[in-house]
Amino acid sequence: MTRVNRDTLCAIFLLLGCAVLAAASFEIREPDYGQLSPAAWPRLVVGILTLLSVIYLAQSIRKGVPEPTEGESSDETRRGGIAGFFVYWRNVFWCFALFLAYLLTMPYLGMLIGGLAFVFLLLNALGGWQPKQLALHAIIAVVTVGGMWALFTFGLHVLLPPGQILGRF
Amino acid sequence: MIFENLQLAFAEIANIKTLLLMIVGVGAGLLAGAIPGFTIAMAVVLTLPFTFSMPPEQGLAMMISVLVGGLSGGLMSGILTGIPGTPSSVATTFDGFPMARKGDPGFALGLGVWSSFCGGMISAAMLVLFAPQLARVGLEFQPWDFFMLVIFALTVTASLAGKDLIKGLIAGALGLLVRTVGEDEAVGMARFDFGIDSLLGGFDFIAVLIGLFAFSQLLSDVRDPVAARRSLTDRGNIRVRIEHWRAIKALAARWPTVLRSAFIGIFVGILPGAGGSIANILAYDQAKKASKHPEEFGTGVPEGIIAPETSNNAVEGGALTPLMALGIPGDVTAAIMLGALLIHDVVPSPSFISEEPVLAYSMFIAFFAANFIMLGMQSGMLRVFVLVTRIRMYMLAGVILGFASIGVFALNNVTFDVWTLFWFGIVGFLMRQFGFPLAPMILGVVLGNIAELNLARAVAISNDLTLFVTRPWSLFFLTIALFSAAFPYFQAASARGARWTWFYAPAMLVAAALPLAMMGGAVRPWLAGLCVVVGAFLGWKAMRRVKVA
Repeated sequence: MTRVNRDTLCAIFLLLGCAVLAAASFEIREPDYGQLSPAAWPRLVVGILTLLSVIYLAQSIRKGVPEPTEGESSDETRRGGIAGFFVYWRNVFWCFALFLAYLLTMPYLGMLIGGLAFVFLLLNALGGWQPKQLALHAIIAVVTVGGMWALFTFGLHVLLPPGQILGRF
Repeated sequence: MIFENLQLAFAEIANIKTLLLMIVGVGAGLLAGAIPGFTIAMAVVLTLPFTFSMPPEQGLAMMISVLVGGLSGGLMSGILTGIPGTPSSVATTFDGFPMARKGDPGFALGLGVWSSFCGGMISAAMLVLFAPQLARVGLEFQPWDFFMLVIFALTVTASLAGKDLIKGLIAGALGLLVRTVGEDEAVGMARFDFGIDSLLGGFDFIAVLIGLFAFSQLLSDVRDPVAARRSLTDRGNIRVRIEHWRAIKALAARWPTVLRSAFIGIFVGILPGAGGSIANILAYDQAKKASKHPEEFGTGVPEGIIAPETSNNAVEGGALTPLMALGIPGDVTAAIMLGALLIHDVVPSPSFISEEPVLAYSMFIAFFAANFIMLGMQSGMLRVFVLVTRIRMYMLAGVILGFASIGVFALNNVTFDVWTLFWFGIVGFLMRQFGFPLAPMILGVVLGNIAELNLARAVAISNDLTLFVTRPWSLFFLTIALFSAAFPYFQAASARGARWTWFYAPAMLVAAALPLAMMGGAVRPWLAGLCVVVGAFLGWKAMRRVKVA
């Protein structure tokens, strides 16, 4: 996919988002009091965003091949195809997937156990699964997450969410 | 009265607990600053959850300490390893690393440490002197003016933060939009909740900030599996003694460089969106231009370390000035400070210093004190700051992501905030990949409510919308906003040698003169006259250049 396509797609996505939000702004109830309608400011911002997105779309179509942006591949190791795409972004996908799993399992595992599991698995996914690393990652996860949990629970008296499985933790 | 407030503020800061927290804060900031990829803003935003249970004076003192430490932490790794810890220390490596390699690392570090200290102190003094004066001017502002001030801040940030103005403006508008989700503050009507109860309360903006800034940054840092597993440097066993006296003498002999760089830093800090990353390069460049031997820059000259380190530490005093005086943050870290104040139900405005004098003076004192702590800690813990550069990025990322989730939950004890962190982490990451600057979005998130509330107040006072362009301050901010929006085009055209760019500065001066003249009083009409005279002179020079060309 070329840069022009990326920017064009992004602009189209923004315009679609603007359309959804513009439609949603008509769902906002109008009270009988107050001078400024609660929908006025969101509509103004959505209007401005729509205008800017149209300019962005026009620019992206007109520009040709723009300069690469931060994080965009100038990496020669990047391979094409869907497999190459997943290999290139695998660390990012690991972070997203494990964080999502952590959030979804939080009601069952709680923040302490879930947090320990999340940090341990993420460190292994990013750093490697050799036995020596597993031990190091386990120590890091226990010390950091356990320490943070203890600090918030006992030091700052914040009740962090317990899990259904282990009750208190 | 001032003395009484100062005494009370001093008592707030000069107690063991606060001082210990400040030492921890400076240490954390120095560590964060020393690690490439771990930005100062990330360190400050991650400190926020710890401060919510503290009194505001303590919490803000700790955050200011992290900030001051972070601004100075980058110089250690920059000078000793050639890898700048933060973008604010990039220029320090130009001469710091060569000086260290030539066998003078102790002197290079001494210059860096004392330049940072001088920059911080000058900037703190300017903050104390200038913020109350600016706040007095700010008391003249009415809702129309505040609304335009927010628009101005967003426009300047958009034009300075990225290469593409449109992307910057889109980011700013997205930030404003994020704050419209949930019940509106004026009449309590649900907006953009899509039937989801959790959205009725809106997004917690601290969770949004941590997601946008910290989460997305960490994802970018670990994207490359090889780089994520590598130590940033193997130079962890460096033994150096900082040469304090030699550095102080060198600094005293080069005081014009110190002063010039400090003022560059303060000025850049006041501009919304511009921060240490711009100031250190600008100050280095000016020091080079002012030098009798510019060809020696890059080989390890003292001025090449003094200029960037003084300026990057001076930035934050500048950035805190509009925050404390007007309630408008000067950069991302100041925006996070604003968040910290809002957590404690303190809303910064022009009356902030007069209504919350103890808190305001506590911030001033903390700024001074943090610089002294930074000086002591940098000298005493040098090896630790170099050793942290051996940490592998993936370990840091994993631990920080876990910590961020706990910290964000602790803000309101709501799991939805952790989801907010996650979703905005994705948004921030995608925005980085598509080349959208995050600073305008963050400012939009922070300033969205201020803009809407002032718009509502303005409309409630009068239906006359022309007041947005006829009130002097409002017109002034609008004029500067328009010129700042044109700035990226000016820069690009100026590089091509376009003739119209010769008239940019004269036109801006003359345009700014009109609202200044409308303000009345004794000084401002004279200032307007001066703007017109200087603008006319520059315009005349530009006309002559056109004729010659």
